[in-house]
Amino acid sequence: MVLIKFMVKFLKKYSNYILYTFLFAIFIFLLVNGYQNSRYKPDSLMSVLGSTDWLLNWPKWLDVRLMHWTNDGFGSFIKAYGKYFDVVNDFLLGLIYGLKGILVLAPWPMVIGIVIAITFFASGRSLYTTTFVGIATFFIGFLNPVFWDKALETTSILFIGIFLCMSAGIPGGIAMARNKRVRNFFLPVLDLAQTIPAFCYLIPGIMLFGLGAVPAIIAIFIYAVPPLMRLTDLGIRLVDEEVIEAADSFGASSSQKLFGIQLPLALPNIMQGINQCTMMALSMVVIASMIGTRGLGDEVLLGLQQLNIGRALEAGISIVLLAIVFDRITQAYGATLQSRRGDREINKK
Amino acid sequence: MIIKFKKIIAVLTISILAIFTFVSCSEKQVASTDDCGTVRMGDFDWDSANIHAAISSFILEKGYGCTVEITKGSTTPIMAAHYDKQLDVLVEVWYDNIIDNYKPHEEAGTIFNAGINTPASEQAFWVDATTAAKYNLKSVDDMKNPEVAALFNDPENPGMGRMYSCISGWTCYTINLVKQKEYGLDEFYTNYDPGTSGALDAAIAGAFAKGNPIFTYYWTPTGLMGKVDMVRLAEPAWTEKCWGDMSAVVESIKADGPDAYVASCACEYRDMALTKSMLTEWADAHPAESDFIKAYTLSTPTVNKLLAEYTDPNTGGDMEATARMFLSEYSEWKSMVPADVAKKISAAL
Repeated sequence: MVLIKFMVKFLKKYSNYILYTFLFAIFIFLLVNGYQNSRYKPDSLMSVLGSTDWLLNWPKWLDVRLMHWTNDGFGSFIKAYGKYFDVVNDFLLGLIYGLKGILVLAPWPMVIGIVIAITFFASGRSLYTTTFVGIATFFIGFLNPVFWDKALETTSILFIGIFLCMSAGIPGGIAMARNKRVRNFFLPVLDLAQTIPAFCYLIPGIMLFGLGAVPAIIAIFIYAVPPLMRLTDLGIRLVDEEVIEAADSFGASSSQKLFGIQLPLALPNIMQGINQCTMMALSMVVIASMIGTRGLGDEVLLGLQQLNIGRALEAGISIVLLAIVFDRITQAYGATLQSRRGDREINKK
Repeated sequence: MIIKFKKIIAVLTISILAIFTFVSCSEKQVASTDDCGTVRMGDFDWDSANIHAAISSFILEKGYGCTVEITKGSTTPIMAAHYDKQLDVLVEVWYDNIIDNYKPHEEAGTIFNAGINTPASEQAFWVDATTAAKYNLKSVDDMKNPEVAALFNDPENPGMGRMYSCISGWTCYTINLVKQKEYGLDEFYTNYDPGTSGALDAAIAGAFAKGNPIFTYYWTPTGLMGKVDMVRLAEPAWTEKCWGDMSAVVESIKADGPDAYVASCACEYRDMALTKSMLTEWADAHPAESDFIKAYTLSTPTVNKLLAEYTDPNTGGDMEATARMFLSEYSEWKSMVPADVAKKISAAL
């Protein structure tokens, strides 16, 4: 018992050192492993130290074997589990094409009408925003009749992508705000997701899911979930300390605090996150056309490949219009939420 | 001590001198039996050209005692240098593509077409070998079967099969579109645009990794073709008239959209033979070496295999290693050189 107690105490006191030693050991392992397996391994270590050449030019044998591990690991992974990804692929495609089927079947004036109605109520009956969004929606089809169906296809991919982002991003953001450890873990992951070039995960995505909309959705998720998580986290942490203290003094439980105070107060920030998420998803849809995703991005790519500047521009503008529609609706809804809160506060006074 | 030191220096000097004289003597010996001299070889910036350059230069160096200087570049500068008599030998020339520039120099007699290096660069429709064997798929007509189409199910268009096609915007995409209509494949298959050629490669590699059936347009010689086993589907034979009629339809579709299609004719892509080229002056001065260059031909499957080896992400990327692998594991090169030369090369391996 004493020994265990001592051990625990020892571990607690020196846990940082143990971690550092462990990391250092991994680094040494990588060095030795890279050297041992290098094709350019010198005959002996002495011949390396004998000359200064290796100090001036980065030596070819000083090369971590991440590439080999990734290639081998991915190869055996896809052999063993590739079939399961087909199931996920079919499921997500079913969702997208079900949604698209409904959108495409609906008469286009009706779709524009619905968009106008949504904007009208989301913007708190602002006539200016509603008119603007209505005209933008009309012009997507007006630019080129082919674009209407393609825009709906892009929209259905976006909806599924954003739905996935919200169902993972908002709980993720909440967890980040409530626990420092979770935040410390997620921050570097989010940095990675936001900066790593899309093609690094698009190509493996193709091999796992096949060409088309599903790797695009995975890419949208990786690329667009970080702003939503960050802004949810920020919104919750920005809630006034005094409000939380007041809630504590009334004996509010943790979940009461979350759903009654923190989330409602953070809602404008979360809406901003959803808005950013939508914009980034839309930009990813265009990149995803390079892996055979149908939609408006497809038209831009075709215009570029045929050196048809006019066609590429038309398609580009229609994407901007689609972005404007999404942006104004989500922005306006966020603003409405904020002003309503303001009204309530004024009413209380 | 000093005496000993002097002795050591003396021994060292003598031995170094001895080595030098030995080396220079042996060099002279080689030069006296062979007056090949320096061969200026041109190489291009794509994989198959690199492999041919590596193999032929290895044979010229070890078998004929030449010194080979390889100059690497893109098509225009390398061909210009060759026309200008700055490069003696090119072991891969896409003759049909550059025929307008090549012909005048060939007629002037400075350079000549030294025969075929790879008999066929193919463009065709392919099906993975497992599925082809199981359902006895040999020609495009065999594909016109709802049960077969169901194997290549396109999840984005339920009820249709998916034929991975060329990249939209490339001429071959439209050619494939016309071919599908002419062959009656369009009732069963979509003409699926993969977006980019990298995405098409990934889709094929992914299907093979998972063991899924795949029906695709593809071309050789390519590294991917050496890694996967696909069967070329037979199409009506190439005739100048049919190809001309089809090209007219293709051009009008490219100009006015798919509605411009009119029924005409469709046939297979013509296999394009890749050739070699030599300076007439050099060939006249080096009969033995030029005989080897003239005889140098590798079959398309072999080139695909070598490309697969050369482009392997983990072990490839080394021209000379690929050349050595070919010379030690394949025997088709032995008929291109006299027996004594073949012996020298085998010894050098």
